Amino acid sequence: MGEVNLAKAPAGVKLALMGNEAIARGVIESGTYVVTGYPGTPSSEVIMTLQECSEDLDIYVEWAVNERVAFEVGLGASIGGARSLVTMKGPGLNVASDPLISAAYSGVDGGLIVLVADDPGPITTQTEQDSRWYGKLAKLPMITPSTPQEAKDMVVAGQNISEELKLPVILRTTTRVNHTVAEVVTGDITPPKKFMSFTKDQPRFVRAGMAWNLERHKWLNKQLTLVEDVIEKYGLNKVEGEGSICLITEGVTYAYVKEVVSRSPDNLLKSLKILKLGLIHPLPKRFLIRNLSDCSKVLVIEELDPFIEEGVKNLAFDVGLNIPIYGKLSGYLPLEGELNTDLVSNALSKLLGSNLRQLNVVKQPATYAVPARPPPLCPGCPHRNSYLAILLGLAKAGYKRDEIPIFGDIGCYALSVNPPLSAIWTEHSMGASISMAMGLKLAGFNKPVIATIGDSTFYHAGIQPLIEAVNKRVDMLVVILDNGVVAMTGHQSTPAWNRTETGRHTKPVDLYEVVKALGVDRVSVVNPYRIDEMIEKVREFIKEPGVNVLIAKAPCALLNARLRGVEKRYQVLLDKCTGCLACIRVTGCPALYVGEDGKVRIITEDCLGCGLCARFCPYKAIVEVR
Amino acid sequence: MLSNRVVNVLIASVGGQGGLTLSRTLAIASVLSNYSVRTGETLGMAQRFGSVLSFVRVGVEEEVYSPLFGLGEADYLICLELIECVRALKYLSCEGGYAVVSNEVKPPISASLSGSKPTPKDELVSKIKGCLGNNLAVVPARDIALKTGSVRASNMVLLGVFNYVSKLFKDEIVEEALKNLFKGNALETSLKAYYEGKTWASVNLKTF
Repeated sequence: MGEVNLAKAPAGVKLALMGNEAIARGVIESGTYVVTGYPGTPSSEVIMTLQECSEDLDIYVEWAVNERVAFEVGLGASIGGARSLVTMKGPGLNVASDPLISAAYSGVDGGLIVLVADDPGPITTQTEQDSRWYGKLAKLPMITPSTPQEAKDMVVAGQNISEELKLPVILRTTTRVNHTVAEVVTGDITPPKKFMSFTKDQPRFVRAGMAWNLERHKWLNKQLTLVEDVIEKYGLNKVEGEGSICLITEGVTYAYVKEVVSRSPDNLLKSLKILKLGLIHPLPKRFLIRNLSDCSKVLVIEELDPFIEEGVKNLAFDVGLNIPIYGKLSGYLPLEGELNTDLVSNALSKLLGSNLRQLNVVKQPATYAVPARPPPLCPGCPHRNSYLAILLGLAKAGYKRDEIPIFGDIGCYALSVNPPLSAIWTEHSMGASISMAMGLKLAGFNKPVIATIGDSTFYHAGIQPLIEAVNKRVDMLVVILDNGVVAMTGHQSTPAWNRTETGRHTKPVDLYEVVKALGVDRVSVVNPYRIDEMIEKVREFIKEPGVNVLIAKAPCALLNARLRGVEKRYQVLLDKCTGCLACIRVTGCPALYVGEDGKVRIITEDCLGCGLCARFCPYKAIVEVR
Repeated sequence: MLSNRVVNVLIASVGGQGGLTLSRTLAIASVLSNYSVRTGETLGMAQRFGSVLSFVRVGVEEEVYSPLFGLGEADYLICLELIECVRALKYLSCEGGYAVVSNEVKPPISASLSGSKPTPKDELVSKIKGCLGNNLAVVPARDIALKTGSVRASNMVLLGVFNYVSKLFKDEIVEEALKNLFKGNALETSLKAYYEGKTWASVNLKTF
């Protein structure tokens, strides 16, 4: 953000900050020293924001190769007394879950916060995973903010709580907090808390099936009983109103409830009591019992799973609180998708037996059907060329369209699923393309298989699957789409860089050398922009037995254009264009469109000059302009 | 328009057109004006050449809470592209709602692949006009932006028109907000585009 430097802004300033920028400021205010993570929407901007002002910060803030490594780095720093924070999206916590669960037994000395950003909707994530269950599974305290302001403040509180309890704290957010911009008032900056000491303490840190693990489990359970006492002074749980109809909210659902209530008549508020939970694991029992005992009925308003609802019902049963508790299990709110003010208003109407929605009925214009615009591969994207080369190479090798399965992986290139390429058959989890292709072969599929995986995804979780395929001698073609960057999440660094975003000099880990060292049968680097050469390589490699790897190497076109500008663009000669649409049907490039006269146009400022459309124009109607 | 206690603005654009920058500008200007503000948008996948909706909620005299609003609840619809505008129309209020629309069309690939004839610009505009009557400004934002030196400044041209109509922010506040976001040439172009937008509105929208 231009003039506002989050590393320098003094306390008491009101800024317009995105939730993730507010969390970044929280890192600075809390004296957190080691920050790492793996990019994943909606969590990426925390580290990106810190890296932007890293010159003015005395902290370590770098991307890690994957989430488990990030977590273990954070854990290592924290057992030495430093404060650390690791960031990831929901599925990233699955990757980090192994060390997370063990870390609860070992505990920390310096504060350790795990930021996990879930994505109800889901807007950009493979599933609507509800990571709140990790609070229970890992037996760790979990806190959640409702606004960017709270997100910032909870980093500061979370580090204190983590140190007081000697446990990692999970800060759980959702897209509508991470990506919401709102007013945020800054607090004081604390100097970073770095290494203090690390003493040999084997019962605490050695988890090798030792008898002392039972003692650590008892310790962990004891710590969990202290959580509510410890968090009390931070005011994470709040109550508004003194009515007997009680609403339990958390995260952004609090905002939806407040919005609905603020638009309703004053007497509604009088009949309500709104509880906002900042601590969601373990549930604050005393707070809940104190505030629910005089309620006539309860509605739990939460996104995704009935996590709080089940907990509150258990609690009510235990203390003999015999009042109706509504939520998702009684059908007041949906189990899927994100909530909004309409859904909350409807649930509240049902609870109150009156129609709140009537209060703001508005006349809206007619709706018209318009063609969908799913995100396509960008103009000039090298992945378009790569998939086209794979499809044409297969055709040249004698295979029919859709005869050979193409396994996909996580990254921009998954957008090749859309027409006209319609290339990938699967996309599941980081690295799965290679191992799933292997499984299909082992099951008895007797034709070739292709796995396609991006460079960053390969570093993250593709290396072990490739070891497995090589070691078990399973024939496959692996195409590594190497654009040199984590593109989809906003162009973050990979281990192949010799310098990171903060200017840190690193030792690049060369992709080709890694692949070669794993003992694959054939490996070749191709340039997808030389599409004929790549087609030929695909045709050759698909017929050869063994594990064959093609590295399709070309920089991300969007980033390249931003860094180096665009050398040439293309335009359509309207007198030559017959409107056959071959260019569009082959490439699906979003810089192309059909004009009202049926002929193709190129949006000049979107064209990045790859020339793929010109190559496939049968009438030579698309020409270069410099 | 300032009598509205909460102003709901929806920005409809194609990823890459600057819709997110526009929503951030409104958010910064709101904080500088001491208004309460929430934006709701989908970053990540949708930002590149896909449909992008940005919700901006400005509390002029009261606090806003939700980052989103529902169908028919937008007081203003700012569109950087006509097809996205038609798609987003359902969010606009028919009672006093106002649309500020760039006359640019970028038909999506799905339309070109379907083989159906592209919808003419006029037809898209007349759909948008629907119940809005005079509450519609169709702006040659791209042409105006080109005059300022960058087609990327179309969003700031629309900001100028929007602020001329809504009178939500003082000019000096908008200037400060833009200084928060841009430096050097980009700042100069953005400021110029903003004022060009305002000038266009003062000439073409006589009712304000």
